[in-house]
Amino acid sequence: MRHVVDARGSFCPGPITELIKTYRKAQPGDEIELLATDPAAKSDVAAWAAKSKNEVVEVKEEQGYIRIVIRVTPKGG
Amino acid sequence: MKRVVIIGAGTGGIILANALSKKLKAEMKGGRLEIVVFDGSESHVYQPGNIDIAFRGADPKIFRRPITQLLSREVRLFKRPVSRIELDNRAVIYDSGLKMDYDYLVVATGSVAAPETIPGLAEASLNFHRSQEDARRVWEALSTFRRGRIVVLTALPHKCPPSPVEAVFLIDELMRKKGIRDEVEIAYATPYTRAYPAHGIADVVEPEMEKRGITTYTLFNIDYVDPSTKKIYSLEREELAYDLLIAIPPHRGAEVVINSGIGGEEGWIPTDKRTLKIRGLDDAYAIGDATDIPISKSGVVAHLEAITTAESIASQIHGMGKVYLYNGRINCPLEMGGRRAVFVSGTYTRQPERQNPSIAKYLMKRLFNRLYWTMLSGALEPIFNIYLGPPYDVNEGAEGVEEVSRDRPV
Ligand SMILES: Cc1cc2nc3c(=O)[nH]c(=O)nc-3n(C[C@H](O)[C@H](O)[C@H](O)COP(=O)(O)OP(=O)(O)OC[C@H]3O[C@@H](n4cnc5c(N)ncnc54)[C@H](O)[C@@H]3O)c2cc1C
Repeated sequence: MRHVVDARGSFCPGPITELIKTYRKAQPGDEIELLATDPAAKSDVAAWAAKSKNEVVEVKEEQGYIRIVIRVTPKGG
Repeated sequence: MKRVVIIGAGTGGIILANALSKKLKAEMKGGRLEIVVFDGSESHVYQPGNIDIAFRGADPKIFRRPITQLLSREVRLFKRPVSRIELDNRAVIYDSGLKMDYDYLVVATGSVAAPETIPGLAEASLNFHRSQEDARRVWEALSTFRRGRIVVLTALPHKCPPSPVEAVFLIDELMRKKGIRDEVEIAYATPYTRAYPAHGIADVVEPEMEKRGITTYTLFNIDYVDPSTKKIYSLEREELAYDLLIAIPPHRGAEVVINSGIGGEEGWIPTDKRTLKIRGLDDAYAIGDATDIPISKSGVVAHLEAITTAESIASQIHGMGKVYLYNGRINCPLEMGGRRAVFVSGTYTRQPERQNPSIAKYLMKRLFNRLYWTMLSGALEPIFNIYLGPPYDVNEGAEGVEEVSRDRPV
């Protein structure tokens, strides 16, 4: 399953809120595709993925926004 | 006769009903239009007052008023909840089976704190988001707390992004006033990478927390609580012990939205962030906390979305074909204790910037508490318009909206 999370235009509370909302119901192996305009998204998602041990599989600068794809690993794994 | 049905007489629903009844006075007088509002509660609660109830012991009565006093007289209030929304039939169901058709619908049913969705949380924690009574219980617990560790814990999503940080600062202030700050440890656990999600505001909040000896645990996503050992466990496999746990629980949309199969399990209504229409529909809108728009769930947003929607519906009723597009303006006060505050301000295209806390901003927040009831009537709109401009852009007839599909198989 691929979940598309469009957090463009969100700075407060920002893309991490939308990401975590989707992550909580996602299954291991799912992909979350996050679209964001918040410049902090890249570093925030990297820090979150490192700590929660999920995998960032793609970071791409699109026109006016960033696309980040995360693969969900087994929770707590 | 045309009918606009508004579900929910909260901040968004009341402002919308009053703004619409002003704009469409002639139609209503001529019997060509009626505006109907549904809400099962007797009173409307000014929820920011929960901060004063929980951390200053304020009297809850100051922060609620009967809904009938707040709605314009031309609006018909049905003092009962809607039990089902039938978007396909353009109707709402109430009183176990009665049906009311609509020409235009606005869902403004808000959000609710749902501690029961996290194992152990409802039993283990107090909160100041669900109701005034809950906020009162926080005050009672803080009043008798003598020593140990207070943990303020945030779970996502929740309304009012500044409220957890305000709680932390005000608990610190209260414990200092009581002369027991040395006996009390204050910890703040947040799912974000910083103490506040918008980095410009985190830059101001973090040094202040450090100065006051508040420990922050970032990237802490609650998994469950074990009330018997008084420990919180995170999805990241960390644990945190507490003596008193004050939580900002995850929120959900209204029951009726979930039961009507509109907003998935969590009840967030799929809404276009610019037109505020429920996705795929031209006659139904959602505003305020109820939507799935990635923006702060706040009274300010509910207010500005109500103003935008009033323009759009009036334009549809007048056959003008103008589309009003919300610009995503937010402007939320964040109190830092010591009679100082900052405002978290931005739009869909402008992120909140760093600013210095000040007494002036704190006084503005206090003044706003007083002006709130007047604001609901719409009397302050001309002033807001002069100083801040309208919260929308206008498209003459075009849609101008991009759609992004949600979940889809890989
Ligand atoms: C502690 C705290 C502090 C806050 N501080 C601020 C702040 O400083 N600034 C700010 O902008 N915002 C603040 N907020 C947030 C703000 O109060 C909310 O975001 C705002 O009230 C949302 O407005 P709304 O109209 O969407 O929903 P609400 O005002 O919650 O109203 C929803 C209404 O819908 C009704 N309803 C629900 N289901 C049904 C049904 N089935 N049928 C009919 N009616 C129904 C409810 O009874 C309710 O009256 C704060 C909130 C809290 C809890």
